[in-house]
Amino acid sequence: MIKITNLEKFYRTEEVETVALNKLNLEINTGEFVAIMGPSGCGKSTLLNILGLLDDPDGGSYLFNGTEVAHFNERKRADLRKHNIGFVFQSFNLIDELTVFENVELPLIYTGVSTAERKTRVEEVLTKMQIMHRRNHYPQQLSGGQQQRVAIARAVVNKPKLILADEPTGNLDSSNGNEVMELLTDLNEQGTTIIMVTHSEHDARYSHRIVRLLDGHTVMENIMM
Amino acid sequence: MIKNYIKTAWRNLWKGRVFNLMNVIGLSVAIACCALIFMTVYYEFSYDSFHQNIKGIHQLYTVTNRTSGTERSTAMPVPLGPALKAEYSHVKYITRSANSGALVKAGAKQLDQNVHFVDADFLKIFTFPLVEGNVNTVFNQLNNVVLTEQAAKAMFGNQSPLNKTILITIGQREEPFQVSGVVKDVPGNSSITFDLLLRFEHFPNYKTDLNKWDNWSHMAFVEFKEGYNTQNFAKQLKPFVEAHYKADIDLLKRDGARPDETGSLLSLHLAPFSSNHFNTDLSGVEGYPVSKTYVLSLLAIACFILIIACINFINLSVARGFTRAREVGVRKTLGAGKWQLLTQFWTETIMVCLASTILGLVLCSVIISPFKAMFKSRINLAMLFQPQHLLAILGIFIFITALAGFYPALIMMRYKTVAVLKGNMGDTAKPGKIRNTLLVVQFALSTLLIICTIITWQQINYLSNKPLGFNKTEVLSIPVNRGIDGSKALQLMRNDLRSNNQVEAVSGSYMNLGRGNDGSTRSSIIGFGMNGREIRTNLQRVDFDYVKTLDIKLVDGRDFDLNFPGDSNAVVINESMARSIGGKNIIGRYLFMFPEYQSQIIGIVKDYNFKSLHDKIEPVSMVMRKDFAINYVFVRVKPGNLLHAFDEIKQSWNRQYPNVEFTGSWLNENTERQYQSERRLSNIFVSGAILAIVISCIGLLAISVMIVIQRTKEIGVRKVLGANVAGIVFLLSRDFLKLVMIASIIAVPAAWWVMDNWLQSFAYRISIQWWVFVLATLMAMLLAFITISFQSVKAALTNPVKSLRSE
Repeated sequence: MIKITNLEKFYRTEEVETVALNKLNLEINTGEFVAIMGPSGCGKSTLLNILGLLDDPDGGSYLFNGTEVAHFNERKRADLRKHNIGFVFQSFNLIDELTVFENVELPLIYTGVSTAERKTRVEEVLTKMQIMHRRNHYPQQLSGGQQQRVAIARAVVNKPKLILADEPTGNLDSSNGNEVMELLTDLNEQGTTIIMVTHSEHDARYSHRIVRLLDGHTVMENIMM
Repeated sequence: MIKNYIKTAWRNLWKGRVFNLMNVIGLSVAIACCALIFMTVYYEFSYDSFHQNIKGIHQLYTVTNRTSGTERSTAMPVPLGPALKAEYSHVKYITRSANSGALVKAGAKQLDQNVHFVDADFLKIFTFPLVEGNVNTVFNQLNNVVLTEQAAKAMFGNQSPLNKTILITIGQREEPFQVSGVVKDVPGNSSITFDLLLRFEHFPNYKTDLNKWDNWSHMAFVEFKEGYNTQNFAKQLKPFVEAHYKADIDLLKRDGARPDETGSLLSLHLAPFSSNHFNTDLSGVEGYPVSKTYVLSLLAIACFILIIACINFINLSVARGFTRAREVGVRKTLGAGKWQLLTQFWTETIMVCLASTILGLVLCSVIISPFKAMFKSRINLAMLFQPQHLLAILGIFIFITALAGFYPALIMMRYKTVAVLKGNMGDTAKPGKIRNTLLVVQFALSTLLIICTIITWQQINYLSNKPLGFNKTEVLSIPVNRGIDGSKALQLMRNDLRSNNQVEAVSGSYMNLGRGNDGSTRSSIIGFGMNGREIRTNLQRVDFDYVKTLDIKLVDGRDFDLNFPGDSNAVVINESMARSIGGKNIIGRYLFMFPEYQSQIIGIVKDYNFKSLHDKIEPVSMVMRKDFAINYVFVRVKPGNLLHAFDEIKQSWNRQYPNVEFTGSWLNENTERQYQSERRLSNIFVSGAILAIVISCIGLLAISVMIVIQRTKEIGVRKVLGANVAGIVFLLSRDFLKLVMIASIIAVPAAWWVMDNWLQSFAYRISIQWWVFVLATLMAMLLAFITISFQSVKAALTNPVKSLRSE
């Protein structure tokens, strides 16, 4: 599904150039659950942003389902993103002014789904995430775990092929964290590819493979059995 | 999608309601002011436009090149109209025109009416449509009179006035007239106003002046045949002028006057009637012309306020957008396209603009009355719903939404998704240069208005307090109403007040000083020969004790005195007139001012400002000629209890004329009235400056909120490292104060130029002082500092742990 070759990313200021990704190579197959680990500043989040087409690389190649997407323009990237990729963030990033229902509905609006179908699909996913009873609440009225479940619901409502999760349990206690990891595992079992950045060895154990990064390149890969 | 936009927009607006309320208030105040000002300006420009052939109507005026300078006058001799029509084939219609007040009796009703003396062509030149009567026959009979609908209704109620007889008193003579026509009421935006039209033959002195070309007394309007090129008029009329104005031209030659570039000493010209309402250069035109500068100043201020409000709107929207950066990031992540985001933010702008426009129009309807009173505007609320004004409001709405909505939306678009999701605004979000430029523009306009306010206030203060050479605080001026014999009124008042120990002196004159409650101003200038040259002087018909009553300082000789019967032929002059005559020992000399007798100079008074301070003091000669009426009675009272004295004089008047309203006023009220337009301008500047400053400060407040959000981490770190509150407040204010300073540097020369030009219109004026600019700059900086302090002090007092955590 994903193949990156010699991927490079630099952050430049007037005087200093920092290498975030240093000729990184990585391949991820459809249906995989991959955890990316490494110390702070190793390039985990940069990699995730590039994979999610939120940022562009400075060098190398990025094939998404066989298509070179490294240098797509903004419009094409937005288009590919909204049809194929769902995001889950550590800080949930729900829009405070929208209700649970409306937050989950948002990606469907941007992909032009009709009102009736939106309603069906949002209700379906909210039921699945066991948050249907909170559909008319605003994010600030929910617990952290509930908020993250809404965020996951929003990430999957468009039925993306890939979910990118950036420390999804980072702001949650262990019981809520486990719940979220169970949800991601379920999604993966249903066929969604998941790439998760995490600091937690515990969370990483839910994945099939752990990719460890240091100074912008892969230092080790562990296959989980 | 749209529903979603509106819903989100509404929730966002509600969430930032304090911010948005500031935005809406600023904008709606600006819209209300602009709507009122634009209507006023439109109204001023619409003057006389209802005349169907407005472009073809011209007023005649003469240009005389005297030794003392060039003189332009709209006053025409009585024989000119008919002569021009007979001798100059291009003339289609011509009418002489003069106005006067008259007492009209219709049955038992008695009315004070405004009469125009005109020729039959008047109703063919000007569009005052007849509702009764025929335009070709209404002036067939010498005693025909045409009424306006309003006058007709006042006289005859709902009966048809046609062929009815009314009695009209012009001067001292009462005559019967027959109503031959009724015209529609004169529109409010007409320079020409009248209640009655009479044939020009009824104009006082018509018979004596019938063949006199050297007695100029009325206006004349002309309409030419189609295809006539008015540019050749002066040249083509040269032989006509030289033939008819021969006597005047000979006098000019005798005095050594020099002809102009066309070789004329006296020439006849045309002033287009379409620009009559702004023709302040020419005295003696119809209506009350207003200065175009005044109207354009109004327009400029309206535009300033609109620009300031728009800049505010932009800055407020950008500031608020700042707090929503994360939302933009999330939406982008979820696949929102550029246009989708742009439309979403634009929807919010439109909603705010719509609310502001509606509120602005409501506000407009609330403040229209005080606005009308303050600016003497004749607009009404119904005008707001005329298509052209609705279109203008729509235009302003589109302008604001397009200009003020697009830029903030664009700024939000530029946020980098990854950065904003992490709460890092980065450089992309700093609208630096543009924002600073906008702030400089706002404060430059505000400072400019502050400077204009201070200078106009200083000049008005100077005008009010400058000694004028006569007693203006204890002298009451009483206009003698129409239909009353002024000399008799003066005599009656003098006798009645003789025993009143409050009263110092009583006198009367032809001209008022300043502008009384009757609103009229008169002036009379004559020229006469002396030692082979022409001397020109203002003529003031006065009565005994005039100098004493007005407390004018006598430099030499004496005042007119009842004990000297020969004084009725004498003259008292001012110093300027004495200089004009020249030589020493002026008292006792004779002036040949009138053909019937010589006037002996019995006194010289110190120069006094008998006109407004716009004009230099000119020569004036006071005479007691009976053919000039006494129009004003003056009473000087003892200082102290002025209110009581006023009541006593009023009672005295009412004893003499129980049915005639007393309209007396103190001379200082009259002189103040001369500067009404300056006061209006000052009011405009004050209101404009206050509005501009308030709206600018609201904007500045919003920007300081944004800056504080941006620099929260920096503030936290500085506090941890030991910075104190004052240091942080200074740090946050410094950059803004620099911008206000730059704005002042731009505003100062502009304000100096504008105000220096304005002051040139006064013969007596203040000089602009440097400290005004310093004061205005300091005021702007102080207001800016106070505004920023609201946020900066709050930020400086915040616990650094909190600021750092927010990072």
